[in-house]
Amino acid sequence: MWFKDLLDVSGKELRKTISDTGVLVFFIVVPMLYPLLYTYLYSREVVREVPVVVVDECRSATSREFLRKADATADLKVISYCSDMEEARNLMHRHKAYGLIHIPAEFESTLVAGHQATVNLYCDMSGLLYYKALLSGCTMVSLDMNRDIQMERLSGLSDWEKDVMTMPIDNEYVTMFNPANGFQAFLIPAILILILQQTLVLGVSMMAGTENEQRRAGMVLGHEYDNPITVLGGKALAYLIVYGFVSAYVLCFVPWLFNMPQLWQLPTLMAFVVPFLMASIFFAITISFFVRDRESCFLLFVFVSVPLIFMSGISWPTSNIPPFWKGFAQIFPSTHAINGFARINTSGALLQDVRYECLMLWILTAVYFMLALFIYERMYRSDKMPGAEFVIAMRTKVRKNIRVAKRDIKGKLRIEK
Amino acid sequence: MSKDFGFWAIVRREIGRMLSRPLYGLTIVFAPLFCYIFFTTLMGEGLPQGLPAGVVDEDNTVVSRSILRNLDSYQQTAIIKQYANFAEAREAMQKNEIYGFFYIPKGTQELASSQRQPKISIYTNGTYLIPSSLLYRDMKTMAVMASAAVGREVLYAKGANLDQAMGFLQPIRMDMRALNNPWLNYNVYLTNTLLPAVLALMILMVTCFSIHTEIKDGTGKEWMDMAGDNVLKAVSAKLFPQTMMFSLMAVIYLVLLYGVLDFPHNNGFWPMLLAAELLILASQGFAVFMASAIPSLRWSLSLCTLWGVLSIPICGFSFPVMGMPPALQALSYMFPLRYYFLIYVDQALNGVSMVYSAWFYVILLGFTILPLIDIANLRKAAREYTYLP
Repeated sequence: MWFKDLLDVSGKELRKTISDTGVLVFFIVVPMLYPLLYTYLYSREVVREVPVVVVDECRSATSREFLRKADATADLKVISYCSDMEEARNLMHRHKAYGLIHIPAEFESTLVAGHQATVNLYCDMSGLLYYKALLSGCTMVSLDMNRDIQMERLSGLSDWEKDVMTMPIDNEYVTMFNPANGFQAFLIPAILILILQQTLVLGVSMMAGTENEQRRAGMVLGHEYDNPITVLGGKALAYLIVYGFVSAYVLCFVPWLFNMPQLWQLPTLMAFVVPFLMASIFFAITISFFVRDRESCFLLFVFVSVPLIFMSGISWPTSNIPPFWKGFAQIFPSTHAINGFARINTSGALLQDVRYECLMLWILTAVYFMLALFIYERMYRSDKMPGAEFVIAMRTKVRKNIRVAKRDIKGKLRIEK
Repeated sequence: MSKDFGFWAIVRREIGRMLSRPLYGLTIVFAPLFCYIFFTTLMGEGLPQGLPAGVVDEDNTVVSRSILRNLDSYQQTAIIKQYANFAEAREAMQKNEIYGFFYIPKGTQELASSQRQPKISIYTNGTYLIPSSLLYRDMKTMAVMASAAVGREVLYAKGANLDQAMGFLQPIRMDMRALNNPWLNYNVYLTNTLLPAVLALMILMVTCFSIHTEIKDGTGKEWMDMAGDNVLKAVSAKLFPQTMMFSLMAVIYLVLLYGVLDFPHNNGFWPMLLAAELLILASQGFAVFMASAIPSLRWSLSLCTLWGVLSIPICGFSFPVMGMPPALQALSYMFPLRYYFLIYVDQALNGVSMVYSAWFYVILLGFTILPLIDIANLRKAAREYTYLP
């Protein structure tokens, strides 16, 4: 019987969700469009062809070779050869260029003398990716040219001997799990999880806000079911059904659409997403009690997304988050879900690798379930105060009368016109 | 309410409305303040230090151990554990215990001493891009240094001095200068834009919400009557106390960033104050424009929220606009925060002449007067429309 009640509540909640456009926007439209928008925004992963200016005071064959090679890298694009630093600086100030390569006059003569020659790089620090592009582009060119210069000086040795002389120990770099070493593969998993949690919070709060408005207006609320657990469970089940589909779209389809790394295995993903959704649902129900009316959920909860992304440790590393914030971050499902999902999706972690995150999500599920239950129980009691039903019935009746009267007056006015 | 009339009466009325609901205090004061404290303390270190990394030393010889000892002496890298083999280290990475590891295969010393060019490998976890890039920088330098150390020994043995050796090993050297942020301080790089971004988001939402609440509560008619049906007066008087509060919040973050934390502010305090003040007005202007264009609380609030949230990535402070798809590059011009960011780069970070930023200030001003196009709608809405949930 209890189970039938549960399904009953669920069905009602689903109908309520579907009939409320505002909630549907949060539950369906935002999770449909936001992930596409964000993933599209970062779809190019890295910046290529960062515009730089050049001041070549050496004007020798070697300096020109350096600049030609720098221009040819994917990272950089020389937009202007300036006659002096003043001109170059001016271009940078006008946001035409983000880096400056300066080759001093004594560049070639130093090289010929067998000493170390210096190339000066100046970088605009309005974006760290400019720095990265300028540094890696020029380093690549210098390594390449250094090798050639050494080879020339070592003429007479065999190729193999040259190789060993110039690079006694070779090295290679592998950036695992993020082939392009770019923004999309690293930031999007976090954003996707956050969108799921935040839209749940917003949608549930909007419904709670509506209910509170009605309660203040005296319209609420005969409770048909005696057991608050039934109501809570039924609602949660309804959201879980909706978000089962939504998360399949957000977490699986969107990354697939944009060709992002997807190394998850289905059992792991399922076993992780279920506690995440449960924790988020009860978290949403708990905090929705603080929402007084329909629209204030925007003002209260949207801005939280920005700190939440940073709390997760996806950008500023967890190992360097101050202890207080690290502790504070534990109470949000998104913190654990972002870390877990990023590793399951992007680094192919298995369930045992995300044990801690998974456990925390189950703990949060339990905690927020208890909290939500506690608040429901109190609300039940206040709604069911002796005489409350009578008052509610009377108010409803009066309101109905007023509505009818209004309609009559309007009708009469129309006739008079 | 009161029977007063005129600008100051509406201002008084608005102050009363703001005080009557905790929502305004939470959104105008608490939310930005929380973010100010959160972001500046979160990234208080500036550049992450001691990032956990691991090693797999299958060689276990004098050469490999000296490479590892040197690596640990780098400030940004902390070798926390040695793993027996590659698979173990990879698993530790998947568990998020380390952000990267050094792999020294068996026979490195043997190959190096017999001049047969062994290869050492650097692996980092690209899932966490920032620590991964920072670790890479240290580990790459280390690998090159290790190689150079061996090469230098050979050259010394042949009778070269240090200068000659370096002139041979690295004929061309890069001297990189990060202008105005030589510490690569992430706090400077990110909070300078994140704090105003949160403030602008709150302004967009609060402005739109407070205007449409008049319609929802059915007080729109009273509001218009008090302004003598002059919608411009009604709106400016209503928003005036909010402007004052937001200005106070802007001054707080400016003092925090440029006074307390002493972030680069090469043209001083005033150009940034002007920029922040114009950002507030521009955001209010944009919100009024939206609120007038779409006479539904939910839809106009949704759009304002979208604008506020989207302005954070699209203003290009973390991922440059030039790296976005062309359609979004064009769209980025429609966000006030984009212009604030450009002004910040010019005036605070690089300290260039105000002439270079003049247009950005003017465009922000343009956003402020944007509502002149459609504000007439608002009078009609306030008088006649009823709230639809």
